Amino acid sequence: MVSKKVTIINPSGVHARPASILSKAATECSSEVLIIHGEKKIQPKSILNLMAAALKKGTEIEVQCDGENEEADLKKITELIESGLGE
Amino acid sequence: MEKIYVEKTASRGIAISKIYKYEEMDLKPVQDKIGEQDKEEHIGKFLNARECVRKELEELAATNEIFSAHLEMVMDFTLEDSVKSKINNNSDNAESAVDEAISEVASVFEMMDDEYMKERASDIYDVGKRLMAQLKGVPLPDIGNIKEEVIILAKDLFPSDTVKINTDYVKGIVTEEGGVTSHVSIIAKNMGIPALVGVKGIFNKLNTGDIACMDAGKGIIVISPEEDVLNEYKQKQQEFENEKLRLEKLRDHSVVTKEGKKISLCVNVGNAEDIEKALPVKMDGVGLFRSELLYMENTHFPTEEEQFEVYKRAAMLCPSELTIRTLDIGGDKELPYFEFEKEDNPFLGWRAIRISLDMKEMFKEQLRAILRASAFGNVRIMFPMIISIEELKEAKAVVEECKQELRKEGISFCEDIETGMMMETPASVILAEEFAKEADFFSIGTNDLTQYLLAVDRGNKKIADKYSYFHPAVLNAIKHIINAGHKENIKIGMCGEMAGDINATKILLEYGLDEFSMSAGSIDYIREELLKLTGVI
Repeated sequence: MVSKKVTIINPSGVHARPASILSKAATECSSEVLIIHGEKKIQPKSILNLMAAALKKGTEIEVQCDGENEEADLKKITELIESGLGE
Repeated sequence: MEKIYVEKTASRGIAISKIYKYEEMDLKPVQDKIGEQDKEEHIGKFLNARECVRKELEELAATNEIFSAHLEMVMDFTLEDSVKSKINNNSDNAESAVDEAISEVASVFEMMDDEYMKERASDIYDVGKRLMAQLKGVPLPDIGNIKEEVIILAKDLFPSDTVKINTDYVKGIVTEEGGVTSHVSIIAKNMGIPALVGVKGIFNKLNTGDIACMDAGKGIIVISPEEDVLNEYKQKQQEFENEKLRLEKLRDHSVVTKEGKKISLCVNVGNAEDIEKALPVKMDGVGLFRSELLYMENTHFPTEEEQFEVYKRAAMLCPSELTIRTLDIGGDKELPYFEFEKEDNPFLGWRAIRISLDMKEMFKEQLRAILRASAFGNVRIMFPMIISIEELKEAKAVVEECKQELRKEGISFCEDIETGMMMETPASVILAEEFAKEADFFSIGTNDLTQYLLAVDRGNKKIADKYSYFHPAVLNAIKHIINAGHKENIKIGMCGEMAGDINATKILLEYGLDEFSMSAGSIDYIREELLKLTGVI
């Protein structure tokens, strides 16, 4: 399992549009992807789960990937979050 | 004829039209339980329906982003798991399983504190409706089929409805549900369709074909208007259109008094987006940037870097002067991540500059961020709630300290950045002459000034009639502030409600106010009034 900490930079947090981009990318990953926010575990493959977590701007989260392609998946997901999820 | 008054205006304008009642299809699920042998079949039904919805949404997503999110939602594995488990474990049929699963997910959003997230429940119901219509094999009602001028009356409108609105036919929108931040409000405003939302009880009062008039700006709906009222609204509608055109034409005029002094028209904003939205009204600058929103809509005290990004963007967007007010919390404004001790008199308590001076490190983060942003535009710093010269000097000393640090670090900023203060306490009025020697500008905050001068709580309904900035004491105070400031050749602005009140424009101009700062929606009206008063038009 590999993990990395990243910060949400989207001005209005992870609302519907960025959540849809993130969940789409996570679904394309072959490894298991998990986002840790404080005590909460969020499954980014689920847009509902992601939106319900209401991640705000400036929130630090930890992305974990576990599985065959974990290195590449982690890189892909964290870079996407750091780049502002298409915003 | 019946008149209904509404508090929330979603989008201004006048509409007179037939009502088109947008009724929901009966999408209630059948409730029968199913036997063990049928479970496979019902899971199949769900998956089939979902496949059809996926195709529908994929087409819609090509032209509208909202549907990309809907697409992800309908394909969401948690939704699929939930539906399957209801069929397998509770022997629910496909329809009731979908209905319950959607309700469960939506309720999570409905319970959230955030208005935006609450409204997202409607996206989930929207997806649910599509699934249900597919399961039942019925077509959803379609706004796209409207081919005559109407006011749409609905319980609520969903994104899949509003996307089909054709402004040639849809002249107004009234909904029973929804708030001013809801999807339908935003769309109506963008499309320029008059809209009123959250009108409780309206749905059952009207039928398709009824005639109704609405004045969305004033929040009035008239059902089955009599002849004279109908004519009155026709006239209003014409006036509204004329007014819009007339005001837009004035946007290139600047206001200059007979003596040749330029009067600035500025906006009050809470973030950079507000500035962007206000640009079409062609304001002279931002008279009040409420930095507290940055603190209030956050999970922690915003860092220097976070604030810098926001102020920099604001400075670059702003056509000229950007006046940033340092943190103004306490009183009625709290922070989710910081506990304020309960106070008996919060408006006379630990608030605004008092907090900043006590929490110097936090204050410095904000000042450094503002200073750094001053390299990207014409930025001014404004301190709220000042009552003594010492306080103002202390605040300015902290600015100086930050400048020193930045110089040492080789970070650029504007050396001549102006520092001014809000005039909102009786003490600041009485000492205005002294303050004018220390401050580079004044901005009169009439909301707090009125309540402090008159000792009238503006939130208390029982004494609401006593709260007035036309009280002679308040008017005298304003006059005194302006005179004191002008003696020292500093500019005097006003950023309270009064600046956007057309009934106050004349007197403020006569007193010699240099800058009027208000919400963007008022600028056109005040500009016209000022142009008339100065004899330009």
